[in-house]
Amino acid sequence: MAALPLARRVAGGPLWVVPLALGIVLILVPHFDLEYSIVRQLQLAMILSLLVSGLNLSLGYAGELALGQVAMYAAGAYTAGMLSQRGHTDILLQLAAAGLAALLVGIVTGIPGLRLGSWSLAMTSFFLVLLLPDVLAIFREDTGGRNGLTGILSPTLFGRMLTPEDYFMVIAVVTVAWFAVMRNIAVSRHGTALRVLKKSPVLASSMGINVFRMKLLAYALGAVPAGLAGALFASLDLYISPEAFSFTVATTILAASVLGGSASVYGAIFGAFVLQFGLNQSTDFQRYSLVVTGAFLILGGVLLTGGLSGLARALWRRLTIPADPAAPADSAGAAGRSARPDDVPAVPGKVLRVEGVTKAFGGNQALKGVDLTASPGRVTALIGPNGSGKTTLLNMICGFYRTDAGVIALDDRQLQRMRPDRVARTGVARTFQTPNIPEGITVREAVMAGRYSGHRVSVLEAVLRLPRYRRVRRADLAEADRVLDLVGIRHLEDAEATALPLGQRRLLEVARCLISNPGVLLLDETASGLDEDEVERLAEVIRRVRDAGGTVVLVEHNFQLVLSLADEIVALAHGELMARGTPEEIQNDERVMSEYLGVDLDAPASARVVLADVAPPQEGAGR
Amino acid sequence: MTLIWGGLALGAIYAIVAIGYNIVFISSKTFNFAHAQLTMVGAFVAYTGLVTWDLPTPVVLVMAAAAVALIAAVEERIAIRPVGDMHNILVTTLGASILLDGAAQLTWGSQPLTVPFFAGDDAISLLGGRAYPVELFLIAIAVLLVVGLGIYARRSLTGLALLAMAEDREAALLRGVNVRRLAFTAFVAAGALAGFVGLFVGSKTFAVSTLGAALALKGFVVLAIGGFGSMPGTLVGGAMVGLAEAYASRYLGGEYANLAVFVILVTILMVRPAGLFVRTKERVV
Repeated sequence: MAALPLARRVAGGPLWVVPLALGIVLILVPHFDLEYSIVRQLQLAMILSLLVSGLNLSLGYAGELALGQVAMYAAGAYTAGMLSQRGHTDILLQLAAAGLAALLVGIVTGIPGLRLGSWSLAMTSFFLVLLLPDVLAIFREDTGGRNGLTGILSPTLFGRMLTPEDYFMVIAVVTVAWFAVMRNIAVSRHGTALRVLKKSPVLASSMGINVFRMKLLAYALGAVPAGLAGALFASLDLYISPEAFSFTVATTILAASVLGGSASVYGAIFGAFVLQFGLNQSTDFQRYSLVVTGAFLILGGVLLTGGLSGLARALWRRLTIPADPAAPADSAGAAGRSARPDDVPAVPGKVLRVEGVTKAFGGNQALKGVDLTASPGRVTALIGPNGSGKTTLLNMICGFYRTDAGVIALDDRQLQRMRPDRVARTGVARTFQTPNIPEGITVREAVMAGRYSGHRVSVLEAVLRLPRYRRVRRADLAEADRVLDLVGIRHLEDAEATALPLGQRRLLEVARCLISNPGVLLLDETASGLDEDEVERLAEVIRRVRDAGGTVVLVEHNFQLVLSLADEIVALAHGELMARGTPEEIQNDERVMSEYLGVDLDAPASARVVLADVAPPQEGAGR
Repeated sequence: MTLIWGGLALGAIYAIVAIGYNIVFISSKTFNFAHAQLTMVGAFVAYTGLVTWDLPTPVVLVMAAAAVALIAAVEERIAIRPVGDMHNILVTTLGASILLDGAAQLTWGSQPLTVPFFAGDDAISLLGGRAYPVELFLIAIAVLLVVGLGIYARRSLTGLALLAMAEDREAALLRGVNVRRLAFTAFVAAGALAGFVGLFVGSKTFAVSTLGAALALKGFVVLAIGGFGSMPGTLVGGAMVGLAEAYASRYLGGEYANLAVFVILVTILMVRPAGLFVRTKERVV
């Protein structure tokens, strides 16, 4: 147990120090007088780790399986090689050109590949690998076709010829630099946004993230290290041929990614080194390499969901996180602190107008001309039996369904023709019946993601940590603290978001909505599955948002909660408006009583009095 | 016309692979990356049966179907059932396909093997062109499969249960359909089909360990054109891909065949991402 305090102390400092130190050691390897074969394996392993890292961006972070790393690798290698043939031997120039060429291949192939979801990118990119020899053969004048590209000159840097030792350092520096970039992307808001996307495209677009563009970003960005790796490889052997870019290489990259953990930054290095040193050594293995790789991918997919880095992370957490008992004390303090309603700043709500909205799914008329208005500073509840069209209406407001007729507007902006991500950016925020929270991030990060689309920072600014990135990041943190205080779970902000119990995950979703300063807040059956205390807490949060001037639309089955919270209740039945009014009016409405609550109006009056206390109507009706 | 027969026969192979993808897709909404490899193994088993063991054709057909069905059953148990989410299934079935590639290479070597065809290798004149018997058989099999599966799906109880399952898995479960067993059965049936057609495919293309990867891709392009889950779409898609490939290699050169198919794929994905025969469904939260 002696490791415990040490681990905690290391965890307290900046964690990137460890990989940086290892990187410096790697750069200095030429001074260690190692055997040639080991040096070469190291170089190849670094090149492989660049390739794997690029794949991780799309597979691990954006959740899209792509096999085209090899094609981008080849694009980079041939670009650099052909430049060198023509006398442009400066390695920096080659790296830049190769990176650009690969990026271009990534964008051009990513656009069609990402249109159809998961399989199509895997297949189009796989196809790309298969096409490679054909394309090289078609341009055999320039590429040497199947014979390979010869006549590549030794690389230079600023006019100086590079010795093999120098060149090793070049590879190491590029590798370290890329991993620094990758790390900066992964821990920035872009990394979180990618995880949101991986979790659910629906969630991403409801948070204002353009799903297609985000996926393309990850895939195309992943092309850059592949291009760099290609340039480095071309000048390493001064000869390249189609065989170096075969499908086997593609599967090795994938295997290394799965082994190291696709959703990690440094797992790529680990996976690449293991495959390069451990498996590609013996010629025996070459014969069985396909079988082993295949078996490994099956095993990896079944068992090691997080890869080895996932296991390491779990272990690390056990070492560094103190035992649980401290938590409840914190929570009491936080609850007391956040109970002051006066530190709730104004929430500038907007008017949501729904007029004559109609929707049919095939022959099923789900909504037949529904009107609804939700105003700032008021809670508008939407109730109705299952199948009455509540969720359909919610999805139409969010832009997931197209309206057949009617107008949906937020203040003066019409929403009914917008894509979901634009609707969200216009100011519609929602929660989900089943909380939708990405894996592998903390509560604070999950909430901060709500500001991703409203307060933009480019990837470049995030990579270079430019002042604007820092400014937005500070604001993100401050706002996250504020909204977490508001919903009363600030004491949990460092916990893993998906590990929270249901009630707190619901509150987290509310916080994630609030941080974007939404014009309207849509709560989709937020109270279902919560116990009494949690419902009371949720009600308190909703009241605070309302009092701060927010527009709240509540879709809810808990009739008691609706009665106590709502300023206006809209009851739907069979896709039509059944009743509308204050809680008192709705409570005494005959149609609502019989159709929604299932009360027999001819029954003795005493039975009806009891009913107001029976919270979930379905249960009441069942007995 | 000779070119057309050749192209259509090639297309029929791709369509048959796509039908296999579709059976699995309809029954379990998963994409079995390794299905083309199953067809490839079928071709190899047919070679072993016909050439090495010198068995009669009907026996070989049954043997190949049974062998590949068994492989499919094993694949379902180890690479699909234990895996939770769809992304991982993509990785594990890709793993299965690579494993099968490697195993085939170890068992049968990497040289192309000629699978003899029972109806002979003499080309016959038909509609102004020349076609090999195996080509006509392939086209007939593809068409019969689509028609037969269409009838089966609508007339038999199992077929209806499959359709119900494709529509709504949970609803089918509540209706008393054993969803898991049905999906497993469909998966194994797709495997048996792949094994059965292996003989015909191998006779046209040779049995070779790189066959799987090529078939996998072309089969996918066929699906992308016809639309996932659409059986008639596979015939149209197959014809398009096969003809494009035949014409491109005839008039532009062999290295343009794959490129032509790729261009079709990209065009389809850009213009009609859901395919020609599937209507886009609205997303549900």
